[in-house]
Amino acid sequence: MIASLSVLVKSQKVIVICSLMLCTLLFISAFAPWLAPNDPTLVNFAHKLQGPSLNYPLGTDHLGRCTFSRILFGARVSLGFATLIFISSLTIGLIIGLIAGYKGGWVDQLLMRFADGVMAFPDLLLVLGLVGIWGAGLKQVVLALIFVQWVYYARVIRGVVLSLKEQNYITAAKISGSSQWKIMKKHIIPNVLPPLAVIGTLEMGWAIMHLSSMSFLGLGVQPPIPEWGAMIHEGKSYIRTDPLLMVYPGLMIMLVVVTFNLLGESLSERFGIKRR
Amino acid sequence: MLHTKNKKLVLLISVMLLILSTVLLGCTSESVEQEEADASSETSESTNMITFSWPRDIGEMNPHVYNPSQMFAQSMIYEPLVSYQDGGELEPHLAESWDISEDGKEYVFNLRQGVKFSDGSSFNAGIVKKNFDTILDNRERHSWLGFVPLIDQTEVVDEYTFKFTLTEPYYPTIQELANVRPVRFLGEAGFPENEDTSKGVEQPIGTGPWVLEEHKVDQYATFKRNENYWGELPSVERIKVNVIPDAETRVLAFEKGELDLIYGEGVINIDAFNQLKSTGSYESSISEPVATRILVMNTNREMLSDIQVRQALHYGFNKEAIVEGGTSGLEEEADRILSTNFPYASNVDATTVDYDVNKAEQLLDDAGWKLPEGKDIREKDGKPLEIELMYNSAESIQKTMAEALQSEWAKIGVKLNIDGVELPTQVERFNKNEFDMNFYSTSGAPYDPHYFVNIVATEGFGFVEAISSYPNKDELLSQIAAVQQSTDENERQELYTSILGSLQEQGAIVPISYIKQIAIYQKGVSNFTFPANRDEHPFTGISIEE
Repeated sequence: MIASLSVLVKSQKVIVICSLMLCTLLFISAFAPWLAPNDPTLVNFAHKLQGPSLNYPLGTDHLGRCTFSRILFGARVSLGFATLIFISSLTIGLIIGLIAGYKGGWVDQLLMRFADGVMAFPDLLLVLGLVGIWGAGLKQVVLALIFVQWVYYARVIRGVVLSLKEQNYITAAKISGSSQWKIMKKHIIPNVLPPLAVIGTLEMGWAIMHLSSMSFLGLGVQPPIPEWGAMIHEGKSYIRTDPLLMVYPGLMIMLVVVTFNLLGESLSERFGIKRR
Repeated sequence: MLHTKNKKLVLLISVMLLILSTVLLGCTSESVEQEEADASSETSESTNMITFSWPRDIGEMNPHVYNPSQMFAQSMIYEPLVSYQDGGELEPHLAESWDISEDGKEYVFNLRQGVKFSDGSSFNAGIVKKNFDTILDNRERHSWLGFVPLIDQTEVVDEYTFKFTLTEPYYPTIQELANVRPVRFLGEAGFPENEDTSKGVEQPIGTGPWVLEEHKVDQYATFKRNENYWGELPSVERIKVNVIPDAETRVLAFEKGELDLIYGEGVINIDAFNQLKSTGSYESSISEPVATRILVMNTNREMLSDIQVRQALHYGFNKEAIVEGGTSGLEEEADRILSTNFPYASNVDATTVDYDVNKAEQLLDDAGWKLPEGKDIREKDGKPLEIELMYNSAESIQKTMAEALQSEWAKIGVKLNIDGVELPTQVERFNKNEFDMNFYSTSGAPYDPHYFVNIVATEGFGFVEAISSYPNKDELLSQIAAVQQSTDENERQELYTSILGSLQEQGAIVPISYIKQIAIYQKGVSNFTFPANRDEHPFTGISIEE
């Protein structure tokens, strides 16, 4: 048991390290209320812009709020909403990809041309445009990100389904009278999972980045909810006097995004899957 | 799969693109260098120059238009008949004196003689009338100024006497003439062929101490001293305005010595200002209050129509701490809607509300808003006490204070949602009465007090709708109408005291703090003074060591 584990660690070092990182982050966001030393939204001007101390491990921001607690709670928002975006766009992408790939014909044409239309715009521009129309707010940003992201899942899944469809075992299943639903469930979906795992992890990083970017621009998470992008924005005014206010949330975003990307890269190597 | 032929094509196209982009890049960097060389040769020409920065381009230098033209720049070129000085004193400027008829309808101005426009043409009653007439051609646009819609006729009495007649008396006329726009004077050569300046001017020719020398949109503008100026000649030869939109960049440019002066309201972060000040390497100053930050509560909203709720909200936040912390000690806590350095405002009693959480909770309980077991937000008839506060997202002080209020009111069981919007949206929603609470400010010097009470009484500006559930609303409105028509100084004073007093008492307009302007400048700069008129330029008398 231990021997096999050590083999795993040696052969898949990156995957193991990244997974551990992710587990830590998940732990932090799940237990933020117990880990945080202070209320992240409590304003106290008497303690504003303080350096690290026992009460405030990373000091305080311009409203006297505890930076460390805000970072912890920020993990909740970032990871939580990124997961929401991930699951929603995955579901939409999976359904549309399966339909397009399996049905083919005009259904495929219609769905894929629409997807092309969405992909023709740079992601950030499209998100900005949609948020501009719908108005600023977390809900709108999440919807806009889902709208932009499902396309990638749909395209990849459609590609996989197209190649699977020609396989002999699918034809065999058809001949033996399996229903479409059964073929999907038994033969197609299990085969699209590995590529999904790869894009999924990469896109999680993407979602976190974009969510933070939107909050940085003041369009996403609204105060007083702590969020890393919004924290960078607030710290920006203090870049000369208290640059650390920007550095902490910036480091967190970097850490999370790098973890997801490395994990995605190694998974794709492992499964031999090409990315978009 | 690509065929070999296609592959070659792709390769060719990529190479072409690469070459093209290199060439284009080369061009831009060369031209940038060229510009830099130009700029540096220019600066070496004159050392008697003050460089300062402004967040936006100065815009079109036309005295009769509004945004995006910047007021400080308009005021450098164009001058008013009357100028606004400390404490609201109105002093002669282009008019040496004026007479107002007994009935308050006729205004006669004796113009200053020997004043020349920067192109050498002379300033006289004819050109004053011409400017007035083009302003009156766009009456609708300028009707926010109370006296403009009332002007019946304009008249040249003789070369240096100008007269206009109003349809009804309106006492703030003289004060409104001190505004930066639109009643300032463009020279003859500046008028376009159709004489309508609302679409643009030929040349920016004014009587002011400065002349626009060069203007590169969104980069910089330079102003040269008007050597023929009728008043005291400025001691600096040139003023250069660099457009720097970002506050942090502005501070860095100042630290590097690229700027001699940073000046204005909210132009840099106050903590950065304090930090620069504490280094001791620079001079700094802070102005008198120029306006008041106010919270406007919409009494049209059911929960805020109850005076007990409004009072509870007053008691429920620590104004002193919020102002001190939110502005790092720059601004003072305000107990009056208008600070006492404004005309007619000195007799108004302060409405002091001490921070008292218990009292706030008591008031809310009395008003029927109870805290249900196990909840954080008060409820009445199953409805939570949830209020939205709208603020201008570009103003960091408003945002800081809004967040502080959110945290404070949460302690008394009030949920405050804060909504940062852009200024045009804020104004629009305020005017349409689509808000619970609005973070706003009075117009300040030289507009108040008459402009403030005027918009309080006028429909479509948001205030009159916001105070609609005041029990004494009708009396207030009739007092406001009376004060503008009053020709008796004592009567006006009494009316203002009563109007401002009861606006404060009813508690829908909550004064927060007095806005001040800041200035920080290099050691070589001296004689910096803030203009009494918030919108004017501060360069009168300023000098710099060469």
